[in-house]
Amino acid sequence: MSIANVLEIARKYPCREQIITELNDLIGSPSEPLPNAIYVYGHTGTGKTAIVTEFLQSLPIKSKILSCIECYTSKLLYEHVLNSFYSHTVSKSNNYTPFVKCESMHGFIESLRQLPADSSYIICLEDAERLRDMDINILPTVLRLQEMTGLNICTILISQLPFDKFYLKTGLVEVQTIFFPQYTKAETQTILGNDFVNVKKRLASKLDNNEWSKILDDLESDFYDNYLNIFLNVFYRACRDFPELRSISRDCFQVYVEPVLNGTIDRNDVSKLWRNISKPLSAALTAVYMRMDSAAENQSNKALEDNQSFKRISQSVELPYYAKYLLIAAYLASHNAANQDKRLFVKNHGKQKKRLQTVNAQAKVTEKMQTNLGPKSFTVDRLLAIFYAILDEKVGLTCNLLSQISSLVHLKFLSFVSGEGNLMEGSARLQCTVGLDFVSHIGRIVGFNVMQYLCDFM
Amino acid sequence: RLSLVGTPKRNIQLSNIVEEVLFNGNSSLAESNRTNTPRRSRKINSTYDEDFICDEPKTPKRQKTSTSTPSSKSSAMTPTQKMKLIRSGAISAAIESRDNPLKRRKSDFEVARERLHVSAVPQSLPCREQEFDNIYTFLEGKLQDQCGGCMYVSGVPGTGKTATVTGVIRALKRDAELDIVPEFDYIEINGMRLTEPRQAYVQIYKQLTGKTVSWEHAHALLEKRFTTPGPRRQTTILLVDELDILCNRRQDVVYSLLDWPTKSTARLVVVTIANTMDLPERMLMSKVTSRLGLTRLTFQPYSHKQLQEIVTARLSGSEAFKGDAVQLVARKVAAVSGDARRALDICRRATEIAEETTKDKTVSMMHVQKALNEMIATLKVQAIKKCSKLEKLFLQAVAAEVARTGIEETTFLGVYTQLESIAAFMGVTVPVLGRALQICSKLGAERLLICEHSRTDIFMKILLNVSSDDIYFALQLKNN
Repeated sequence: MSIANVLEIARKYPCREQIITELNDLIGSPSEPLPNAIYVYGHTGTGKTAIVTEFLQSLPIKSKILSCIECYTSKLLYEHVLNSFYSHTVSKSNNYTPFVKCESMHGFIESLRQLPADSSYIICLEDAERLRDMDINILPTVLRLQEMTGLNICTILISQLPFDKFYLKTGLVEVQTIFFPQYTKAETQTILGNDFVNVKKRLASKLDNNEWSKILDDLESDFYDNYLNIFLNVFYRACRDFPELRSISRDCFQVYVEPVLNGTIDRNDVSKLWRNISKPLSAALTAVYMRMDSAAENQSNKALEDNQSFKRISQSVELPYYAKYLLIAAYLASHNAANQDKRLFVKNHGKQKKRLQTVNAQAKVTEKMQTNLGPKSFTVDRLLAIFYAILDEKVGLTCNLLSQISSLVHLKFLSFVSGEGNLMEGSARLQCTVGLDFVSHIGRIVGFNVMQYLCDFM
Repeated sequence: RLSLVGTPKRNIQLSNIVEEVLFNGNSSLAESNRTNTPRRSRKINSTYDEDFICDEPKTPKRQKTSTSTPSSKSSAMTPTQKMKLIRSGAISAAIESRDNPLKRRKSDFEVARERLHVSAVPQSLPCREQEFDNIYTFLEGKLQDQCGGCMYVSGVPGTGKTATVTGVIRALKRDAELDIVPEFDYIEINGMRLTEPRQAYVQIYKQLTGKTVSWEHAHALLEKRFTTPGPRRQTTILLVDELDILCNRRQDVVYSLLDWPTKSTARLVVVTIANTMDLPERMLMSKVTSRLGLTRLTFQPYSHKQLQEIVTARLSGSEAFKGDAVQLVARKVAAVSGDARRALDICRRATEIAEETTKDKTVSMMHVQKALNEMIATLKVQAIKKCSKLEKLFLQAVAAEVARTGIEETTFLGVYTQLESIAAFMGVTVPVLGRALQICSKLGAERLLICEHSRTDIFMKILLNVSSDDIYFALQLKNN
């Protein structure tokens, strides 16, 4: 590839000059023999797929970029690659038939061999870790397609894992690896800073006030750099995923720039701006990776509430009265030891001797608490027994009650641990999958103190 | 007795009659079988087409088939027509032949090698006279009595079972031509050459008539043939090699193969061959074992004297081998397995070594010793010696971890800890974990270790596939 093209890509993807040069050295010139296979790996959001795709599209080489998640059978993988290399498009006119029907690796290799040998080919497989779960012969073969087909062909695998996780029992050939390191703080700031023009445009299209748009246009990139510095100081420790950072920074910038547009704060008064933004920023920090549109929009006025938005969702579940009690009973059954049941739920259980052993056992550290160790399993009998013990009124054991247990299972508030088939026999074991906050909230609604019945909090 | 003598030609016609009876008569079973038969895929690989050469038409029947096709030239046939002809047996498979065989005068070594080849079975097998007589008497008796029966022959591989039985058959064929014994048909199937036990029916029917049909159809036709009385039926000898492969869970194939001889109309003699002596008791159902009967014969492994005799018999007249060289081979092989094939292979390898290295015309002890080292001696020590430095350290670490824990199965993390300390002791930079995984998987691919897929990472379970003595031995020798 010409130097101009390489520079073009390097300009498009800043802070990746070294990797782009390396790629260019390996596969840049189509007349030279390609390497057998290249393994590209790095964390999410480091630009692996984007750069490799961009690079391959600018090369005068026939290439096919394919995700291994799409190819749930090997036949799809073979046929997609062959269709692309033979420039065959699957359409209605040919009744969606592939170029050649190819079921096996043998057929794939045979079809590849018939390609013209004077040009070069590249197969790029994304999510390559899935290759390990496909037919056992695929991974060893795609790494040495060159010697099998006699073509100038190269396979690029893209994955997040290091190549050490790929070795089969029968061994693999060596591959050329390219590592995409995560962007440093300065690099992230540079890349985000390049985006300022777009951010301004996007914001301007949202604002209907002409005066504000004018002020917005006047803003310098220094202003944005200051903002990014503040933003990254808060966020870089929690998240280095570039797409995520970009989307959050755009949302928060709107909040940041608003007082400047209003004229309440001078654009050069950094400390005042910082005080203004610090609260929304820390609120947004709790919503990283959640991508809640409503949360992003309401950030300006309901920051504190957003903080608990996840909790709100979980608490907005409406359940019938007995189902609430059943869920509480299930939580108690999961998080209390069965030998404590007599003490907790039977009215006249006799006096309990206070021994040093029990005192020691109760002085628990937080790691040993039942609520922290995760739920234990219980039988349906125990669930019903606890249910009747905590419920003040006496209700008949009707089929409605039993069907509520099964609908709690369907709603995934309970889950089967074992014996899913023999629920009626009594050997099925269930587990409660909701947390303490959720259950205590439900307890508050029905007027039942859950904490009182938990061994951990006595 | 002369009336019973049938030519192969008549044999084919007879089987055709059977088939016609089946189809023209109102046997609904055969009809339904025919319609149910799944059609074979028509596709034939073009490279195979040249391998089939049209036979000269021999019988009127065949003549008819070949003229009935639009054109008898193989090049003009469509694949479907060709497949039809192949399945009806009208054309047979042939392979390309070289233009003219080599006609050079062979050297002494080459002659010896030719004679020593496993496929060059001699006319009479030495050291198996007793067994030959045994089988011969059994089969001759069955032929003379015109009744059916079974025999079970067992023995470890390479003890001359199949060679003896086929030798007996050859002798009987010769005798049949001289009218000492009645004429008979001979069918041979091998369990290892079948993709599925039921394909045995197809093979048997194919050898009787030359036609290829589906197994259901073949089974029905064979059942018909063996259960209905035929006026001019002659005895059929069926040799079943590798009987244990034919034993599936239902054992229906073995059962019907052994049940047909019990029918008075069948006149079928079944000789079964397998490796294990107690196969009938261990694997077969009791009703099958009962039908197999108690006529059994066990081929003992060859002793060193017998092996020596076999090799000398093969080399008779040739001066290529020294007496003590043959004896060395015989003793070494007899001590391990008593396998005649192995002895012959070692002798052949010895002649090759002798031809390469020396000018004189005989194979001496030295060459035999070299061949033995090549073919018997363990290669693991060699493999360990040729490992890279880090691989050796890794093997040492695995052995050390096994010694430390006392359990054979180790995890990667434990081995890596050992590797760190050994590397520190030796003053070598410790490889990073990923590199160590790569080393481990390479050793696993060479089968010096047995390990899992490397996705299990530090929890990978590792077994040592060589003895730890081998490792110490290999590493010590290098140090000296």
